[in-house]
Amino acid sequence: MRTTAFTKTYNKRVVLSLPELTLPEGNITAVIGSNGSGKSTFAKILAGTERADDKRPILYNASVGYLPQKSFPFRMSTEKNILQNGNDPLRARALMKELGIDALAGQSAKKLSGGEAARMALCRILMKRYDLLILDEPAAAMDMESTLAAERLIRQYCAETGCAVLLITHSIGQARRLSDQLLFLQGGKLIEQGASAQLLSAPQCEETKRFLEFYGR
Amino acid sequence: MGSSVRKAIELILSADPELLNILSTTARVCLTSSVLALLIGVPVGILFGAERFPGRKVLLVLNRTLIGMPPVVCGLLFYMLFSGVGPFRHLHWLFTVKLMILAQVVLITPIIIGVMETFVADTAPALRETAKGLGFGRLKEYRLLINECLYSIFSAYLLSFARAIAEVGAVAMVGGAIAWKTNVMTTAIMMYTNRGSFTLGIALGLILLSLSLLVNIILSVMQGRLSR
Repeated sequence: MRTTAFTKTYNKRVVLSLPELTLPEGNITAVIGSNGSGKSTFAKILAGTERADDKRPILYNASVGYLPQKSFPFRMSTEKNILQNGNDPLRARALMKELGIDALAGQSAKKLSGGEAARMALCRILMKRYDLLILDEPAAAMDMESTLAAERLIRQYCAETGCAVLLITHSIGQARRLSDQLLFLQGGKLIEQGASAQLLSAPQCEETKRFLEFYGR
Repeated sequence: MGSSVRKAIELILSADPELLNILSTTARVCLTSSVLALLIGVPVGILFGAERFPGRKVLLVLNRTLIGMPPVVCGLLFYMLFSGVGPFRHLHWLFTVKLMILAQVVLITPIIIGVMETFVADTAPALRETAKGLGFGRLKEYRLLINECLYSIFSAYLLSFARAIAEVGAVAMVGGAIAWKTNVMTTAIMMYTNRGSFTLGIALGLILLSLSLLVNIILSVMQGRLSR
């Protein structure tokens, strides 16, 4: 799956400028970078919730699923929230059980804690098959146990559906555990890309080395 | 004062025909106008909050101005439009319940639009991002948005009903407070007090407060259930 090159400008300042990219199907591509590097803007433009400067989509003929950093719980029960994205109660139950929120199925989603709401949102997006699934910090509000369960589910979803997954994360550990390839962004530019294991163990660019040293390899 | 209150209670218990007539006119005017305002105000408010279109900001400023419009000015406007020299004189609506309802709708609708716009403008961006991320179409997005708004719709209705039942300026001007025809509780209280007939005024005041309390309790209970 290929995205076109694009630029995004806010208030006459270029915040993101990326070349053509390939997101391999059946693979998880992680985007890492410090705050303000343009990771979430990339996710939004790819998902179509924001437009690049030339107003054209950067991805054609692909169904895209996007889990924003702060996902919105609809005013209904947890289970009904999940079933909004596909009428398969058995799958919904299985996903909820996997993420440990099956006991909250009947509870109002508005009353879930931050971590519970994040797990509900992940279950909801995983109900349907997309060509490209974009996950923006899906485990940011989760504890370690839930994070590992979520990573298992994402890996399983990618393998079963053969879709391309783009994972936005600031956790090097998560990128190492989950991704096949990595994109490192800084100041709105792509600094380095490559296979995760190789990029994390032997980065080529000075900026990547500094970033990994700071955040811990 | 004490004897007036006692007489007022006796009047209520005896189901005085004039009192009943005032009550039924009030109920007709308030319920019809608040429901009509709700039917117009909710979709317009949702549209103003959820969509961005040219002229939206101007319309919002206009709406905020209308929220603060004094009822007597509204009454005066309708009086001029429907009186013997006005463009709508041939309808013969002046001093009828119809025109009282119309004036109330004009007064209340901006309040509902304002309440809905504020809530939707705050909620819609996050909901829309999530819905779009899930691949939902516009129709489903709007269905979910309306579902989110139910609590606010109750709040808006509470506010509009409160304004409708307490309003006196506009209905007095366009209704004329004609006994057995267009006299509602607020205009009747004013009329009887001016005449020195405090008993009926107090009785109406008590009923007005009780009605307002009852409607508020019912709607608050329904609102509480929605928030669960």
